[in-house]
Amino acid sequence: MLSRRTLLRLSGAAAVAGSLPRLAQEPVAPDYELEIAPLTLELSPRHRLKTLAYNGQVPGPLLRLKENQPVTIDVTNRTDRPEVVHWHGLFLPVAVDGSIEEGTPPIAPHATARLTFTPQPAGFRWYHTHTMAMADLTRAQYGGQHGFLMIEPRDHPGRYDQEFFLALHDWRGHLLASDDGAMNPTYDAATINGRMMGAGEPLRVRPGQQVLLHILNSSPTEVHWIALAGHDLTVIALDGNLLPAPRVVPMLRLAPAERVCALVKMDNPGVWILGEVRGHVQAAGMAVVVEYANAVSTPRWQQPADLLWNYQQFTGAPPGGEAAESPTVIPLVFEANFRGHGAMEAWTINGRSYPDARVAPLQRGRRYRLQLINRSRDDHPLHRHRHSFELRSLGASLTAHDAAPADLHGIIKDVVLVDAQTHMDLGFMMLFDYA
Amino acid sequence: MRTRCCLLLLVLSCLPALARAQGNYEIQVYGAETVPPHTLIVELHSNFTVQGGKDTIDGVYPTNHQEHETLELTEGINDWSEVGFYVFTSEQDGHGVQWVGDHIRPRIRVPDSWDWPVGVSLSTEIGYQRSVYSPDTWTWEIRPIIDKAIGRWYFAVNPALERTLHGPDVTQGLAFAPGVKISYDFTRVVSAGLEYYADYGPLDDFVSTHNQQQQLFAVTDLNVSPLWEINIGVGIGLTGTTDHFIVKCILGRRFDWRRHSPVD
Repeated sequence: MLSRRTLLRLSGAAAVAGSLPRLAQEPVAPDYELEIAPLTLELSPRHRLKTLAYNGQVPGPLLRLKENQPVTIDVTNRTDRPEVVHWHGLFLPVAVDGSIEEGTPPIAPHATARLTFTPQPAGFRWYHTHTMAMADLTRAQYGGQHGFLMIEPRDHPGRYDQEFFLALHDWRGHLLASDDGAMNPTYDAATINGRMMGAGEPLRVRPGQQVLLHILNSSPTEVHWIALAGHDLTVIALDGNLLPAPRVVPMLRLAPAERVCALVKMDNPGVWILGEVRGHVQAAGMAVVVEYANAVSTPRWQQPADLLWNYQQFTGAPPGGEAAESPTVIPLVFEANFRGHGAMEAWTINGRSYPDARVAPLQRGRRYRLQLINRSRDDHPLHRHRHSFELRSLGASLTAHDAAPADLHGIIKDVVLVDAQTHMDLGFMMLFDYA
Repeated sequence: MRTRCCLLLLVLSCLPALARAQGNYEIQVYGAETVPPHTLIVELHSNFTVQGGKDTIDGVYPTNHQEHETLELTEGINDWSEVGFYVFTSEQDGHGVQWVGDHIRPRIRVPDSWDWPVGVSLSTEIGYQRSVYSPDTWTWEIRPIIDKAIGRWYFAVNPALERTLHGPDVTQGLAFAPGVKISYDFTRVVSAGLEYYADYGPLDDFVSTHNQQQQLFAVTDLNVSPLWEINIGVGIGLTGTTDHFIVKCILGRRFDWRRHSPVD
């Protein structure tokens, strides 16, 4: 196991500080404590379910950490199964990152692990369980084990008067074997911050305020479109990373694990609905009331006529000088192989499924370009553990060969949705050696 | 997405007195799923008896070369129930196109949220058919339905019980009329398998094998779209009193009555 000093040395230019997992040698009190324990969650007065949660709430508590300032968090697992917490979007060594496939040790049942790390980079991140649900659609990420993580920068992006953290989630998934073999779950309920429409407190605002929304899609499988009736949204960050320039949009699209930070000028007094743009999802509960001070009326919704979103709209200008080093290109071909209407499709990367799917070891400090080629019939999200990446080209169709890909600059993310039958290029620098 | 068009039904409630006439109006093994709420499925069952009974017996028309067209309308009530309605017709040389009868079939199922390892539902069907096509004019049926998809394999069992309410068999009590299906997904679109239909007679006193109704169909289901159901099969009679050779086809279209926003 790596010592903290060794890790600090290894992290080098990436400025990643790291870790002392599971130790109780330090007598000091932790900065935060997380307890994983069973909870009966009330989505609405008519919808209750038993699940696991952090500190008895869904989402778990908002953890505000300071960039580059070491933090200690005690995680107690009061369940009968091993647990692991993934700090999504942080540049962390594997010992504490929580990506259990890469080697983070799990927290044993009824044990406490002390995690110490130095959070970086600044921005809107999140934490969630990294246990596997397998065929049980009530466990792991299906069970709503997630919370907000805000890594405070030295300077806040943009001025705002009030901020809200909102998590989108889908509950009670069922696999319908009558579907096409992809066996995507359908869900009985959908929530914002664990509450169905009308069951939670409204977001209370005042006219003239500048409100900053931090929206997380913690759904295990579903892409969501979100709009605030009567208002536009000014997107300033994707996955917690500032954009080259703010962009005004009528709605947001969030793939699973994606985050969007958007400013809203509260200049249209009334009682409005912030919710899923698609009617059947909003009807399942994914909406919250936005209530201006002294406004009394039935919440209003204005139905958009189209689903509008693309990553290209956030691109910046090309940088003045390209990096001297050419990146190493790594093609990754996604395919979903039909295995019958009574089975999940077998997903492969370059013809192999995890854990057999591997690429040549990457080297710390080198630049790489991932070519994501999605030959499946489904749009597919992808997350890079412990790194961010830059979207470099986007949306080239695998079938329309005359369609030129869009070149992108300055869009830094850690999750991306690769549309079916398209390819996308991501650039990144390797921050760590393989453990 | 695919529609389980493969789940073909069998309505043996039209079966009249054993070994005397058959009711090949709707030949299908039910799957456990029900139609979603605010959704209507319109199905046309086309069954042609290539080789069947050739004699009129006790006023019941022979089945040979009868073309049966059955319109089935099934509306989803909620996530766990539906109701189906049938209009049976028959076309045959010398008799023209004739209305045969109507049935109604409510059905409930175990909701998905119960997470049972197999699909389970229960339907009941009651209806009338004209005596020239079936001596038993009023019949009732209760049909447990169990199904399971495992990888490329699909299994369904319908151990149905029938009761004649009006007609010669009214004193027979409950008759056992199972249907079984097994199929294999060769591709995402093409599935194929076997369907078995039988009527063994009264539960407490099965009739002789010769007088039982037993049919075996080779079928294919084409999962071309979530909106469409296509099932084609050819069947043979396994006993002396069963129609010898039948061709069947089901064409279904799903209509969604839910109010959708423009982006749904």
